[in-house]
Amino acid sequence: MIIVAIIAIAVLLIGIGIYNSLISKKNQVANAFSAIDVMLKKRFDLIPNLVETVKQYMQYEGDTLTKITELRGKALGTNVSESDKLALDQQIGAAVKGLMVSVENYPDLKANQNFLNLQSTWTESEEQIAAARRNYNSSVTTYNNAVMMFPGNMFAGMLGYQPMTVLETAEEERKNVSAKELFNN
Amino acid sequence: MSTNFTISSAVENILVELEVQRKKIVSSKMQGWSSIILGVICFGIGCVLSQVILAIVGFVIVIPGAIILFRISDDVAQYKSRFKQEVVGAALSSVDKTLTLDPNRGILESEFRSSQLFTTSPDRYSTEDLIRGTIGKTSFYFAEVHAEYKTEVQTKSGRQVTWHDILKGIVFTADFNKNFNGVTVVRPKDFGSKIGAWFSKNVYSFGDKNVVELENEDFSKNFVTYSNDQIEARYILTPAMMEKINDLNQRSANAISLSFIDTRMYIAFPLDKNYFEPPVFKTLLKPDLLDDDMSVLAFMYDIVRELDLNTRIWTKQ
Repeated sequence: MIIVAIIAIAVLLIGIGIYNSLISKKNQVANAFSAIDVMLKKRFDLIPNLVETVKQYMQYEGDTLTKITELRGKALGTNVSESDKLALDQQIGAAVKGLMVSVENYPDLKANQNFLNLQSTWTESEEQIAAARRNYNSSVTTYNNAVMMFPGNMFAGMLGYQPMTVLETAEEERKNVSAKELFNN
Repeated sequence: MSTNFTISSAVENILVELEVQRKKIVSSKMQGWSSIILGVICFGIGCVLSQVILAIVGFVIVIPGAIILFRISDDVAQYKSRFKQEVVGAALSSVDKTLTLDPNRGILESEFRSSQLFTTSPDRYSTEDLIRGTIGKTSFYFAEVHAEYKTEVQTKSGRQVTWHDILKGIVFTADFNKNFNGVTVVRPKDFGSKIGAWFSKNVYSFGDKNVVELENEDFSKNFVTYSNDQIEARYILTPAMMEKINDLNQRSANAISLSFIDTRMYIAFPLDKNYFEPPVFKTLLKPDLLDDDMSVLAFMYDIVRELDLNTRIWTKQ
């Protein structure tokens, strides 16, 4: 009788542990995504300053600047889904990268200290977002393993937890960061 | 950097002077030890054969030997100091003018502790041969460190103290090229850390929340990473950085440990040999005299380039 009671208590404790573990892992994923959101917000906040600094020098890049401003407006708009926000960020990233390449044609801008500071901050934000995305993917992988493997899959089925999709790693995130490549100097 | 360094004619002259000093030291050491060994033998035979006079003679012979060895200790210290400052120092500046050697300084014990490279605190600590330099915007320094902890066991005859190495080798530190606020530590994977990492991965409630699961398989096979900021750890340990640390680890004879703390990076290299020391029983006048020392220097110097620490494209300049 005592043995049965001990086994029952042990099973109950293991069950509680697995249940709590699944909840923690799911929360961890949500937390990791909100970290990406914070980083994106930080990056979007750089754009007005960047556009303002750059447009004084870059007379021929008006279209690019307008496009970047529009994309930022969309990304910060209400009712933008998480995946749309990430897609918009990728478009902004590509547009700003193109802008950085064009800086070559504007020597005065290249020498502007405010622009150089913004350029460094932008690069830093790119790496921070990449780190946040990797952190998210790691949390998703841990969560998925827990949801799909025994005995977690039994509880996941009861809770209605489904495996999640990891974010695709951009090619730039896999590459070695090179000042030359980034700034095309 | 290659190990290309030059020994000027002025340094060659110093080596010739030091060679004379070395021979004098060797001769004194031979005299001192011969006297001690002879004395001990006489004393031993005297005791065994109950020959009091022979034992006294043996004891008397030991004394001048001990005095000779005691008196040359200052000469040995001066010989070592001159070699380090005037020969190794000159070779370093022939490689890079910013490189300097301070034989009497090292990595402070407080800095070693705060680097968090190792979990065990040292009970005995010694350090020497501090080499400093700057490459571009990156300043770095490294020194030989011997950190030990002790274990005590109560035996019948009293307490027995045993000393164990935490690190015998070199600690390298450089200004890191990115800003960060937290602490990230990369340690070689041993049995205990493997178990800890497994628990943190598979049993959330019992695992170490500070373990960072990284995606580079080779890196994760060799190291366990701990950090109080999961995102910052990945900001520091980019995929490219992990590859470079793997390469660095492969080039090192023993597994390295790294930490990123207070905007600096620290790397501990366990080594079997004491570097930057002059030979006493071998001649100084041989062409490969400094080859081992300079290859260690080249290894340390290359870290800044290998890890791209001079790339200052982030806000930290």
